[in-house]
Amino acid sequence: MKIKSSGSTPPDVDMTPMIDIVFQLIAFFMVISNFEQQQADERVTLPRNQLAKPPEVKRDDAFTLNLGFDKNKEGEIIDNTPYIFFGDERVEVANCSNRLRQEAQFYTTIGTPLEDVTVEIRADKEVPSGLVQTLIQKCQEEGIEFQRFALKATQKVSP
Amino acid sequence: MKIRNRNEEGEKIEVPMAPMIDVVFQLLIFFMLTLKIIEPEGNFDINMPLGAPETSSVTDPDLPPFKVRMEADPDTGTLSRLFFNGQPMGNDRTAFQRLNLQILKSVNALKAAGPDALDKQEVEIDPDFGLNYENIIEAISACSGKMVEGKMVRYISRIKFAPIRAEN
Repeated sequence: MKIKSSGSTPPDVDMTPMIDIVFQLIAFFMVISNFEQQQADERVTLPRNQLAKPPEVKRDDAFTLNLGFDKNKEGEIIDNTPYIFFGDERVEVANCSNRLRQEAQFYTTIGTPLEDVTVEIRADKEVPSGLVQTLIQKCQEEGIEFQRFALKATQKVSP
Repeated sequence: MKIRNRNEEGEKIEVPMAPMIDVVFQLLIFFMLTLKIIEPEGNFDINMPLGAPETSSVTDPDLPPFKVRMEADPDTGTLSRLFFNGQPMGNDRTAFQRLNLQILKSVNALKAAGPDALDKQEVEIDPDFGLNYENIIEAISACSGKMVEGKMVRYISRIKFAPIRAEN
Protein backbone atom coordinates (compact mmCIF):
# COMPACT_ATOMS: atom_id res chain seq x y z
CA MET A 1 0.00 0.00 0.00
CA LYS A 2 1.21 3.42 -0.87
CA ILE A 3 1.27 5.97 1.91
CA LYS A 4 0.86 9.65 1.01
CA SER A 5 3.97 11.60 1.57
CA SER A 6 3.36 14.59 3.81
CA GLY A 7 5.73 16.96 2.12
CA SER A 8 6.48 20.49 3.26
CA THR A 9 4.69 22.14 0.27
CA PRO A 10 1.22 23.50 1.27
CA PRO A 11 -1.73 22.19 -0.77
CA ASP A 12 -2.82 24.54 -3.54
CA VAL A 13 -6.37 25.82 -2.95
CA ASP A 14 -8.13 26.93 -6.09
CA MET A 15 -9.37 30.48 -5.42
CA THR A 16 -11.09 31.13 -8.74
CA PRO A 17 -14.65 29.87 -7.96
CA MET A 18 -14.74 31.73 -4.67
CA ILE A 19 -13.63 34.97 -6.27
CA ASP A 20 -16.22 34.49 -9.01
CA ILE A 21 -19.00 34.17 -6.48
CA VAL A 22 -17.79 37.03 -4.33
CA PHE A 23 -17.68 39.33 -7.35
CA GLN A 24 -21.18 38.23 -8.28
CA LEU A 25 -22.37 39.13 -4.79
CA ILE A 26 -20.67 42.51 -4.89
CA ALA A 27 -22.23 43.30 -8.25
CA PHE A 28 -25.64 42.25 -6.90
CA PHE A 29 -25.45 44.45 -3.81
CA MET A 30 -24.11 47.38 -5.81
CA VAL A 31 -27.00 47.25 -8.22
CA ILE A 32 -29.59 46.71 -5.52
CA SER A 33 -28.47 49.39 -3.10
CA ASN A 34 -30.12 52.68 -3.66
CA PHE A 35 -28.39 55.78 -2.41
CA GLU A 36 -30.97 58.19 -3.72
CA GLN A 37 -33.85 57.60 -1.38
CA GLN A 38 -32.08 59.01 1.64
CA GLN A 39 -34.76 61.59 2.17
CA ALA A 40 -37.21 58.94 3.24
CA ASP A 41 -37.70 58.67 6.98
CA GLU A 42 -38.41 55.21 8.33
CA ARG A 43 -40.63 56.55 11.10
CA VAL A 44 -43.26 57.36 8.49
CA THR A 45 -45.55 54.49 7.50
CA LEU A 46 -47.02 55.46 4.17
CA PRO A 47 -50.52 54.41 3.14
CA ARG A 48 -50.64 51.64 0.56
CA ASN A 49 -52.31 51.96 -2.78
CA GLN A 50 -52.51 50.06 -6.03
CA LEU A 51 -52.19 53.13 -8.18
CA ALA A 52 -49.06 54.37 -6.46
CA LYS A 53 -46.65 53.47 -9.23
CA PRO A 54 -43.08 54.70 -9.00
CA PRO A 55 -42.53 57.43 -11.60
CA GLU A 56 -40.48 56.36 -14.61
CA VAL A 57 -38.66 59.68 -14.85
CA LYS A 58 -37.25 61.15 -11.70
CA ARG A 59 -38.20 64.73 -10.96
CA ASP A 60 -35.29 67.14 -11.01
CA ASP A 61 -36.52 69.74 -8.62
CA ALA A 62 -38.25 68.09 -5.74
CA PHE A 63 -37.80 68.00 -2.02
CA THR A 64 -39.42 65.74 0.49
CA LEU A 65 -41.24 66.52 3.70
CA ASN A 66 -41.69 63.62 6.13
CA LEU A 67 -44.71 64.03 8.38
CA GLY A 68 -45.20 61.35 11.00
CA PHE A 69 -45.12 60.32 14.61
CA ASP A 70 -42.10 59.76 16.81
CA LYS A 71 -41.67 56.03 17.23
CA ASN A 72 -39.52 53.81 19.42
CA LYS A 73 -37.36 50.98 18.10
CA GLU A 74 -40.27 48.56 18.10
CA GLY A 75 -42.21 50.92 15.87
CA GLU A 76 -44.75 51.96 18.50
CA ILE A 77 -45.88 55.54 18.56
CA ILE A 78 -44.47 57.28 21.66
CA ASP A 79 -45.81 60.76 21.00
CA ASN A 80 -49.24 61.52 19.59
CA THR A 81 -48.21 64.85 18.08
CA PRO A 82 -47.24 64.58 14.42
CA TYR A 83 -43.90 66.15 13.52
CA ILE A 84 -42.05 67.00 10.35
CA PHE A 85 -38.70 65.21 10.42
CA PHE A 86 -35.56 66.87 9.12
CA GLY A 87 -32.95 64.23 9.93
CA ASP A 88 -32.61 64.18 13.71
CA GLU A 89 -34.52 67.41 14.07
CA ARG A 90 -38.29 67.46 14.39
CA VAL A 91 -40.59 70.42 13.91
CA GLU A 92 -44.32 70.76 14.47
CA VAL A 93 -46.39 71.70 11.45
CA ALA A 94 -47.39 74.99 13.07
CA ASN A 95 -43.73 76.08 13.39
CA CYS A 96 -42.34 74.87 10.08
CA SER A 97 -42.60 78.16 8.14
CA ASN A 98 -38.95 79.07 8.74
CA ARG A 99 -37.67 75.78 7.38
CA LEU A 100 -39.91 76.08 4.32
CA ARG A 101 -38.78 79.64 3.78
CA GLN A 102 -35.15 78.48 3.81
CA GLU A 103 -36.00 75.82 1.27
CA ALA A 104 -37.73 78.39 -0.95
CA GLN A 105 -34.76 80.73 -0.64
CA PHE A 106 -32.43 77.94 -1.67
CA TYR A 107 -34.36 77.35 -4.90
CA THR A 108 -34.56 81.07 -5.56
CA THR A 109 -30.79 81.35 -5.09
CA ILE A 110 -29.99 78.55 -7.53
CA GLY A 111 -32.37 80.15 -10.01
CA THR A 112 -35.14 77.57 -10.11
CA PRO A 113 -38.61 79.14 -10.28
CA LEU A 114 -40.70 78.00 -7.33
CA GLU A 115 -43.55 76.91 -9.55
CA ASP A 116 -41.28 74.21 -11.02
CA VAL A 117 -40.40 72.72 -7.66
CA THR A 118 -42.42 69.75 -6.45
CA VAL A 119 -43.00 69.29 -2.75
CA GLU A 120 -43.27 65.58 -2.08
CA ILE A 121 -45.21 64.91 1.07
CA ARG A 122 -44.58 61.60 2.80
CA ALA A 123 -47.23 61.56 5.49
CA ASP A 124 -47.95 58.74 7.89
CA LYS A 125 -51.23 56.94 7.23
CA GLU A 126 -52.59 57.89 10.66
CA VAL A 127 -51.82 61.59 10.50
CA PRO A 128 -54.98 63.76 10.57
CA SER A 129 -55.61 64.91 7.01
CA GLY A 130 -56.24 68.47 8.18
CA LEU A 131 -52.56 68.64 9.11
CA VAL A 132 -51.51 67.65 5.60
CA GLN A 133 -53.76 70.41 4.29
CA THR A 134 -52.23 72.83 6.79
CA LEU A 135 -48.77 71.82 5.61
CA ILE A 136 -49.73 72.50 2.00
CA GLN A 137 -51.13 75.85 3.05
CA LYS A 138 -47.88 76.65 4.88
CA CYS A 139 -45.99 75.85 1.69
CA GLN A 140 -48.00 78.57 -0.05
CA GLU A 141 -47.53 81.35 2.47
CA GLU A 142 -46.16 84.75 1.55
CA GLY A 143 -42.58 84.30 0.35
CA ILE A 144 -42.69 80.50 0.09
CA GLU A 145 -45.23 79.94 -2.70
CA PHE A 146 -44.64 76.37 -3.81
CA GLN A 147 -47.32 75.26 -6.23
CA ARG A 148 -46.74 71.64 -7.10
CA PHE A 149 -47.42 68.92 -4.60
CA ALA A 150 -47.25 65.17 -4.67
CA LEU A 151 -48.56 62.83 -2.01
CA LYS A 152 -46.55 59.65 -1.57
CA ALA A 153 -47.87 56.15 -1.04
CA THR A 154 -46.25 52.73 -1.22
CA GLN A 155 -47.24 50.51 -4.06
CA LYS A 156 -49.66 47.74 -3.19
CA VAL A 157 -49.25 44.79 -5.48
CA SER A 158 -52.63 43.38 -6.30
CA PRO A 159 -52.98 39.61 -5.86
CA MET B 1 26.61 42.87 -16.27
CA LYS B 2 24.58 40.00 -15.13
CA ILE B 3 22.04 38.64 -17.54
CA ARG B 4 18.94 37.09 -16.06
CA ASN B 5 18.81 33.44 -16.07
CA ARG B 6 15.95 32.23 -18.26
CA ASN B 7 16.01 28.75 -17.04
CA GLU B 8 12.87 29.14 -14.89
CA GLU B 9 10.62 30.07 -17.81
CA GLY B 10 8.36 27.07 -17.36
CA GLU B 11 7.51 27.97 -13.75
CA LYS B 12 4.14 29.60 -12.91
CA ILE B 13 4.17 33.20 -11.66
CA GLU B 14 2.39 33.40 -8.29
CA VAL B 15 -0.02 36.32 -8.08
CA PRO B 16 -0.67 37.28 -4.45
CA MET B 17 -4.37 36.72 -3.96
CA ALA B 18 -4.67 37.60 -0.28
CA PRO B 19 -4.81 41.45 -0.59
CA MET B 20 -7.37 41.29 -3.36
CA ILE B 21 -9.58 38.96 -1.39
CA ASP B 22 -9.25 41.26 1.63
CA VAL B 23 -10.46 44.25 -0.33
CA VAL B 24 -13.19 42.33 -2.07
CA PHE B 25 -14.56 41.09 1.23
CA GLN B 26 -14.47 44.62 2.61
CA LEU B 27 -16.52 45.81 -0.33
CA LEU B 28 -18.94 42.94 0.02
CA ILE B 29 -19.51 43.67 3.69
CA PHE B 30 -19.94 47.39 2.99
CA PHE B 31 -22.63 46.82 0.37
CA MET B 32 -24.36 44.22 2.51
CA LEU B 33 -24.57 46.58 5.48
CA THR B 34 -25.69 49.62 3.51
CA LEU B 35 -28.44 47.65 1.84
CA LYS B 36 -31.81 49.00 2.79
CA ILE B 37 -34.84 47.32 1.43
CA ILE B 38 -37.15 50.07 0.27
CA GLU B 39 -40.59 49.45 -1.06
CA PRO B 40 -41.38 51.23 -4.30
CA GLU B 41 -43.16 54.51 -3.68
CA GLY B 42 -45.47 56.34 -6.03
CA ASN B 43 -46.87 59.84 -6.23
CA PHE B 44 -50.32 61.35 -6.44
CA ASP B 45 -50.10 64.84 -7.83
CA ILE B 46 -52.12 67.57 -6.19
CA ASN B 47 -53.03 70.67 -8.07
CA MET B 48 -53.03 73.62 -5.69
CA PRO B 49 -52.85 76.97 -7.45
CA LEU B 50 -51.72 79.92 -5.38
CA GLY B 51 -54.06 82.42 -3.86
CA ALA B 52 -57.29 82.48 -1.91
CA PRO B 53 -57.04 79.14 -0.15
CA GLU B 54 -59.63 80.36 2.35
CA THR B 55 -62.35 80.42 -0.25
CA SER B 56 -63.14 77.65 -2.63
CA SER B 57 -61.53 78.63 -5.93
CA VAL B 58 -63.28 77.64 -9.11
CA THR B 59 -61.08 77.54 -12.19
CA ASP B 60 -63.85 77.19 -14.72
CA PRO B 61 -67.34 78.43 -13.82
CA ASP B 62 -68.98 76.17 -16.42
CA LEU B 63 -67.41 73.08 -14.95
CA PRO B 64 -67.95 72.92 -11.18
CA PRO B 65 -65.53 70.53 -9.45
CA PHE B 66 -66.68 67.12 -8.29
CA LYS B 67 -66.94 67.34 -4.55
CA VAL B 68 -65.78 64.41 -2.45
CA ARG B 69 -66.76 65.04 1.14
CA MET B 70 -65.39 62.78 3.85
CA GLU B 71 -66.65 62.80 7.41
CA ALA B 72 -64.55 61.31 10.18
CA ASP B 73 -65.38 59.59 13.42
CA PRO B 74 -64.28 62.25 15.96
CA ASP B 75 -62.68 59.69 18.32
CA THR B 76 -60.81 57.33 16.04
CA GLY B 77 -60.38 59.35 12.84
CA THR B 78 -61.80 56.54 10.72
CA LEU B 79 -64.15 57.29 7.86
CA SER B 80 -67.74 57.63 8.99
CA ARG B 81 -69.39 58.89 5.81
CA LEU B 82 -68.36 59.55 2.23
CA PHE B 83 -70.28 61.76 -0.17
CA PHE B 84 -69.81 62.35 -3.87
CA ASN B 85 -71.51 65.58 -4.95
CA GLY B 86 -73.80 65.22 -1.94
CA GLN B 87 -74.75 61.62 -2.69
CA PRO B 88 -73.89 59.22 0.17
CA MET B 89 -71.48 56.45 -0.83
CA GLY B 90 -71.29 54.53 2.44
CA ASN B 91 -68.70 54.36 5.17
CA ASP B 92 -66.49 51.33 4.60
CA ARG B 93 -63.96 50.08 2.05
CA THR B 94 -66.69 49.53 -0.54
CA ALA B 95 -67.50 53.25 -0.35
CA PHE B 96 -64.35 53.95 -2.34
CA GLN B 97 -65.34 51.37 -4.95
CA ARG B 98 -68.72 53.05 -5.25
CA LEU B 99 -66.98 56.41 -5.58
CA ASN B 100 -64.77 54.93 -8.29
CA LEU B 101 -67.87 53.77 -10.19
CA GLN B 102 -69.56 57.15 -9.88
CA ILE B 103 -66.40 58.87 -11.14
CA LEU B 104 -66.32 56.48 -14.09
CA LYS B 105 -69.91 57.35 -14.94
CA SER B 106 -69.13 61.06 -14.76
CA VAL B 107 -65.98 60.60 -16.82
CA ASN B 108 -67.95 58.83 -19.54
CA ALA B 109 -70.49 61.67 -19.54
CA LEU B 110 -67.65 64.19 -19.83
CA LYS B 111 -66.07 62.30 -22.70
CA ALA B 112 -69.39 62.46 -24.53
CA ALA B 113 -69.60 66.22 -23.88
CA GLY B 114 -66.34 67.14 -25.53
CA PRO B 115 -62.64 66.42 -25.76
CA ASP B 116 -61.45 69.20 -23.45
CA ALA B 117 -64.01 68.78 -20.71
CA LEU B 118 -62.27 65.83 -19.09
CA ASP B 119 -58.90 67.59 -18.90
CA LYS B 120 -60.44 70.61 -17.24
CA GLN B 121 -62.56 68.71 -14.76
CA GLU B 122 -61.39 68.97 -11.17
CA VAL B 123 -62.07 66.96 -8.06
CA GLU B 124 -62.20 68.75 -4.75
CA ILE B 125 -61.42 66.64 -1.71
CA ASP B 126 -63.04 67.96 1.43
CA PRO B 127 -62.13 65.92 4.54
CA ASP B 128 -62.77 66.51 8.22
CA PHE B 129 -59.66 67.72 10.03
CA GLY B 130 -59.19 64.57 12.07
CA LEU B 131 -59.72 62.04 9.29
CA ASN B 132 -56.89 59.54 8.95
CA TYR B 133 -54.68 60.40 6.01
CA GLU B 134 -54.89 56.95 4.43
CA ASN B 135 -58.52 57.69 3.49
CA ILE B 136 -57.35 60.71 1.50
CA ILE B 137 -55.04 58.52 -0.55
CA GLU B 138 -57.89 56.02 -1.09
CA ALA B 139 -60.19 58.80 -2.28
CA ILE B 140 -57.56 60.36 -4.56
CA SER B 141 -56.83 56.94 -5.98
CA ALA B 142 -60.54 56.26 -6.58
CA CYS B 143 -60.84 59.57 -8.45
CA SER B 144 -57.64 59.33 -10.45
CA GLY B 145 -58.14 55.97 -12.03
CA LYS B 146 -58.39 52.23 -11.86
CA MET B 147 -56.06 49.31 -12.38
CA VAL B 148 -57.23 47.07 -15.19
CA GLU B 149 -55.05 44.02 -15.82
CA GLY B 150 -51.93 45.69 -14.48
CA LYS B 151 -52.42 48.88 -16.45
CA MET B 152 -53.74 52.14 -15.11
CA VAL B 153 -56.80 53.67 -16.71
CA ARG B 154 -56.75 57.35 -15.84
CA TYR B 155 -60.00 59.10 -14.97
CA ILE B 156 -59.32 62.57 -13.59
CA SER B 157 -55.90 64.05 -13.05
CA ARG B 158 -56.72 67.44 -11.54
CA ILE B 159 -57.22 66.96 -7.85
CA LYS B 160 -57.23 69.65 -5.22
CA PHE B 161 -58.14 70.15 -1.61
CA ALA B 162 -61.04 72.19 -0.32
CA PRO B 163 -60.33 74.84 2.34
CA ILE B 164 -59.31 73.32 5.66
CA ARG B 165 -62.11 72.51 8.07
CA ALA B 166 -61.82 73.60 11.70
CA GLU B 167 -60.28 71.15 14.15
CA ASN B 168 -62.76 69.78 16.66
